[in-house]
Amino acid sequence: MPDRPILVAVVLAAALAISGWRFYRVFRPVLSAPGEYRFDELWERFVGVLSNVGLHKRLLKIRYSGVLHALIFSSFIVLFTAILQAFGSGLFPGFSLAPIGGNTWIAGAQELFTVLILIGLGMALYQRVVIKPKRFEGSNKLDALLIYALVFGVVATMTLEFAFHIAAGDDSSAAWRPIAATIAGWLTAAGFSGESAEAGATFFYWAHILVILGFLIYIPGSKHRHMFTAVPNIFLRSMKPKGTLPKADLDHPPIGVQEIGQFHWKHKLDMLSCTECGRCQAACPAYAAGQPLSPKKLIMDLRDHMVAVDHGHSDGVVDLVGGVISEQTLWACTTCRACMEVCPIHIEHVPKIVEMRRTMVEDGRVSPLLQDALGKLQQYGNSFGKPPRQRAKWTKELSFKIKDARKEPVDILWFVGDYASYDPRVQRITVKVAETLNAAGVDFGILMDGEQNSGNDVRRVGEEGLFETLAQSNIDAIAACDFKRIVTTDPHSLNALRQEYGAFGGDFEVLHYTQLLDELIGQGRLKLARGEGATVTYHDPCYLGRYNGGFDAPRNLIAKAGYTLHEMGRCRENSFCCGAGGGRIWQDEEGITERPSENRIKEALGLGDATLFVVACPKDTVMYTAAVQNLGVEDRITVRDVIDLIEVAQA
Amino acid sequence: MTKVLVYIEAQGGQVTGTSLELIAAAQSLGGTVEALVLDADPAGLTGQVKGADTILTMADAALSPYLPEAHAKALAHVVAERSPDVVLVAYSSTGLDLGPVVAVKANRPLVSYCTKLAIEDGAVVAQSQAYGGKLTAASKAPLPAVVAITPGSYREEDVADRAGATESIAAPAGLGDLRTRFKSAQTPDPDAIDITQCDKLLCVGRGIGDADSIDIAREVAAKIGAEIAGSRPVIDAGWLPKERQVGKSGNKVKPRLYLAVGVSGAPEHLEGMGSAELIIAVNSDAKAPIFDHAHFGTTVDLFDLLPALSERLGGG
Amino acid sequence: MRVVVVLRLVPDLTEELEIDESGTDIDREWIGIKLNEFDDHALEEAVLLKEGSGATVTALALDGEGVDRMLQSAIARGADAAVKVEHGMEHIPDQRTAAAILAGAIKELGADLILTGVQTPEDVFGQLAPFLAAHLDMPTVNAVGGVSADGDNAVDVRQEYSGGMSAILGVTLPAVLGIQTASQPPRYVSGSKLRQAMSAEIATLSGADAGAATGAEITGLQEPERGDGATMFDGDAETVAGKIVDVLNERGLLGG
Ligand SMILES: Cc1cc2nc3c(=O)[nH]c(=O)nc-3n(C[C@H](O)[C@H](O)[C@H](O)COP(=O)(O)OP(=O)(O)OC[C@H]3O[C@@H](n4cnc5c(N)ncnc54)[C@H](O)[C@@H]3O)c2cc1C
Ligand code: SF4
Ligand code: SF4
Repeated sequence: MPDRPILVAVVLAAALAISGWRFYRVFRPVLSAPGEYRFDELWERFVGVLSNVGLHKRLLKIRYSGVLHALIFSSFIVLFTAILQAFGSGLFPGFSLAPIGGNTWIAGAQELFTVLILIGLGMALYQRVVIKPKRFEGSNKLDALLIYALVFGVVATMTLEFAFHIAAGDDSSAAWRPIAATIAGWLTAAGFSGESAEAGATFFYWAHILVILGFLIYIPGSKHRHMFTAVPNIFLRSMKPKGTLPKADLDHPPIGVQEIGQFHWKHKLDMLSCTECGRCQAACPAYAAGQPLSPKKLIMDLRDHMVAVDHGHSDGVVDLVGGVISEQTLWACTTCRACMEVCPIHIEHVPKIVEMRRTMVEDGRVSPLLQDALGKLQQYGNSFGKPPRQRAKWTKELSFKIKDARKEPVDILWFVGDYASYDPRVQRITVKVAETLNAAGVDFGILMDGEQNSGNDVRRVGEEGLFETLAQSNIDAIAACDFKRIVTTDPHSLNALRQEYGAFGGDFEVLHYTQLLDELIGQGRLKLARGEGATVTYHDPCYLGRYNGGFDAPRNLIAKAGYTLHEMGRCRENSFCCGAGGGRIWQDEEGITERPSENRIKEALGLGDATLFVVACPKDTVMYTAAVQNLGVEDRITVRDVIDLIEVAQA
Repeated sequence: MTKVLVYIEAQGGQVTGTSLELIAAAQSLGGTVEALVLDADPAGLTGQVKGADTILTMADAALSPYLPEAHAKALAHVVAERSPDVVLVAYSSTGLDLGPVVAVKANRPLVSYCTKLAIEDGAVVAQSQAYGGKLTAASKAPLPAVVAITPGSYREEDVADRAGATESIAAPAGLGDLRTRFKSAQTPDPDAIDITQCDKLLCVGRGIGDADSIDIAREVAAKIGAEIAGSRPVIDAGWLPKERQVGKSGNKVKPRLYLAVGVSGAPEHLEGMGSAELIIAVNSDAKAPIFDHAHFGTTVDLFDLLPALSERLGGG
Repeated sequence: MRVVVVLRLVPDLTEELEIDESGTDIDREWIGIKLNEFDDHALEEAVLLKEGSGATVTALALDGEGVDRMLQSAIARGADAAVKVEHGMEHIPDQRTAAAILAGAIKELGADLILTGVQTPEDVFGQLAPFLAAHLDMPTVNAVGGVSADGDNAVDVRQEYSGGMSAILGVTLPAVLGIQTASQPPRYVSGSKLRQAMSAEIATLSGADAGAATGAEITGLQEPERGDGATMFDGDAETVAGKIVDVLNERGLLGG
């Protein structure tokens, strides 16, 4: 067929042009977006791509989906050779992969992966249609099914083309294509041979090409864009420490993101890359609590709005903040980071949410309760509205005189935190921490009324100006002291001091008290009396675990104190937020159908044998104590801080 | 003999209870009591005034409905005419409008927030609530003076009946020439409840046990004129609607009376009600933190106490 | 419409108050101070008037410690200008004196509407708004729960009475209003706006003469009798119920 190359070239060029145009239309907002530097640590970035794409590290956390994705993904790579062959031979008669094994092992591999992709597609279909995981709620199902059909079309037409070739007797790869050969056998039996088989092969050649090009044209508008964007999206992920939020330039308003166009290009690439897999939604405590927040929907809504605005279809579309994304949605987030931890393509949900919260705060659009808390923080430096002078009042209970780190040098500077200082339920814990450190002979002191709220949650609520004020005041107070390391009781303070203050000139070595205690035991400075050995469970606080990697120290302490740890299903990186973070503890609970804290207590009760619910965060003590009260299960489980398990051995 | 002039305030054609408390205060000073009724048609009100030696009336169309400007002019005029030693107004919206203005016009000292009053050596000796009730201020002001009395400080029941001859005073010139106009009156919607605006609250906690048991609490609340409120677990359980929740994630309230029944007093709860003027706690656990913040408390079981209270309060 | 809103710093009641050596005043050396809660509402109402009807808002205060910052925050909230009034006194003894001093400055500034909080926790000798009205010879309305402009030269104000009753009064300007609650709760002003306002200019005026004292004086401050923790009622339910009813009666909390 002399005219085939021209025809193929024309069709290909047309398809590429349409697809290219469609891609351009979708990606145009990314090209015009504000800048963001993401080209450092290239090797680390590359390694991340390898493990996340090559090894499916995150995808395989949900076994079934991970496996089916791996099947389809790897098959695509192999089947790319068939596509190459189809277009190559179509454009340049004589082109063939035969010299490198196109008729032998490559053909065999194509056959093998055809089977694998069909298995993968079958699994995917079964998942979509029969299993229907909740995480798909809100995803575009039609899009998914269409893609399955197109992928099926690609392999089916390819196999049939080969089968007709074999039936026509002109395929030298027949020996390596058992499936195509079998079908060819049926075709021959059905009367296809010679010219009729050639015609069939031609028909399926074109069908194959057209399905592929159809796929190419369809893809820019589909979530299956991720075939192209996943790799760059992962490669260009944020390499900043997990607990560091982007700064806002306070001297140059607007602060925060008010309009979609203000998101930087990587945020926009995120939006275009989302696969709608819903893993984030399944992990989200706000979603589970019945709040109007799904991190997946958030990304999808941002994406649709971005595209609509770019295409000029946004007429009547209201504001981004409070319109496209409702205020309630934005306030629902606890910033627990569960979504970001599971997203297979490393989409950054929390920074986007905080950027939009900043807009609300600047506009004064805050709920009365949040306003009350922020007002108290402005006035007193703590969310309790208590006078700063009462911050160190708890020290009256101590058996020794605690050092004022502002007045004398100390080895350890203890940043106590608001809840640990002011909440009567937590003060008991704070006193015990102090007594334990004292018993271990640690040289430590506190900032007394020189300490203010660390600002971690203030920043997450979007109150950047107040955060900077608080941070600066603490940094100044800390910098004026003579010390070696800082210890915090509160994981939220830990995060601020360790990960946020650096950008404001406060570079300190900061540990959580569980880490310090673990270290002291390791050095033999602290000796524990072994406890009664009850079975307990442990809740990883988001800002200790996921954000700061503090998974082991609390567990070591539990074990060393003689308790048996029975883990809940959602532990370590997959821990389930108590619902207090990101300023949620200052918000009302409207719309919550089940509090995350109560969901969590039920999970612990489900273990059957854990009588203590052990935590390592003052806010957890408060949240879970209230949850246990609310569920009326005081007789079955008791909330305890790790420090409560620690009994110092008498010398 | 001391002469005390009492400004009588009326609302919706009724002399307020607070005005009668002022008469009790005036009588306690031991001199003659003149009650001043300012109204378009004072006759409707004079019958409700008791315990005054003289009821002074001023009739003028400009005097009702109440307009601060008109009443200030009228009161200043009467004070100039009658030269009482003490002028008593209530510490209320009207007292706020009138007391300081008259004090300046008549060049007299004013004592406000007053809860207790006496006259010694030609001066009023008063006790006032200062700093939101955290401190009591004793003060002295030379006669003649103006005093604004905090409602609830004296008791209407203590007023002794007196003859009460009525005497009318002519309205001052220019009373009609005002820069203030009455436009409309608004009465509260009886169905909308806003517990932050309530004077008295009876709050039930988880100790109440179940939704049905709240009925006995309602009965007591009705008898003392309180609204019912709840702690978070009570709201969560659906026993009371969300707008009745007191606390951190509910409403912050500051009533004159807060009766907490079966509430433990968690910090989030205290945050919402800690500044109530009078807190009475009922909780069977003597160690419950609510007792650290209550003024009065009892460990009697609430299921015994509420019926007993209801009975004691009678038909109420 | 030129609106002047008078702002005052008052002792922060969340702190423990201590009585000074004289026994007639609180110890002001250590006590925290904050914007009077009702003045906060007055400021909000002023800013709402500005937004609703193009009024200009000047925040006015007697000079003193912390006043610059307070006035700057008022600018962050939306006031157009801030003025502090010098008075040469160490401590303003009462609102009546404050009114006398401020009246001079207000005359100099020129104002159509003067707003301030209905009361402060320290007003033992009377409240500022009606004192100002008397000094300036303007009408006054107190316990106001909302103001709206009625043309250029008048406002409608909602005056609140006990029992949830209220009335709308029309007032021809100039006038002085004692604000209890703003039409909307005071807005939140972000930390970034507060930081920006730190550099705002504050003008200075000198006040009028304080005038002669009235002779009223505080003779002693006392903490009301109240022990730590609750007074406990013992006995059976009937006895305790009786005691509770007595307490309610004593405080006039029953009936009426
Ligand atoms: C972020 C956050 C926000 C919160 N917001 C609020 C809020 O807005 N409002 C709020 O109330 N809570 C709030 N809480 C919950 C709070 O921590 C407590 O869990 C809650 O206040 C306890 O309510 P309670 O006192 O009714 O119940 P409990 O603590 O269970 O107390 C019941 C009490 O009743 C007593 N009792 C039982 N039976 C009897 C009887 N027969 N006679 C007399 N006494 C009896 C018991 O001794 C006990 O002290 C919040 C918690 C968190 C973490
Ligand atoms: S950070 Fe947590 S609460 Fe926020 S969207 Fe992600 S999973 Fe949900
Ligand atoms: S944001 Fe990530 S985890 Fe969530 S649906 Fe999209 S791809 Fe999946």
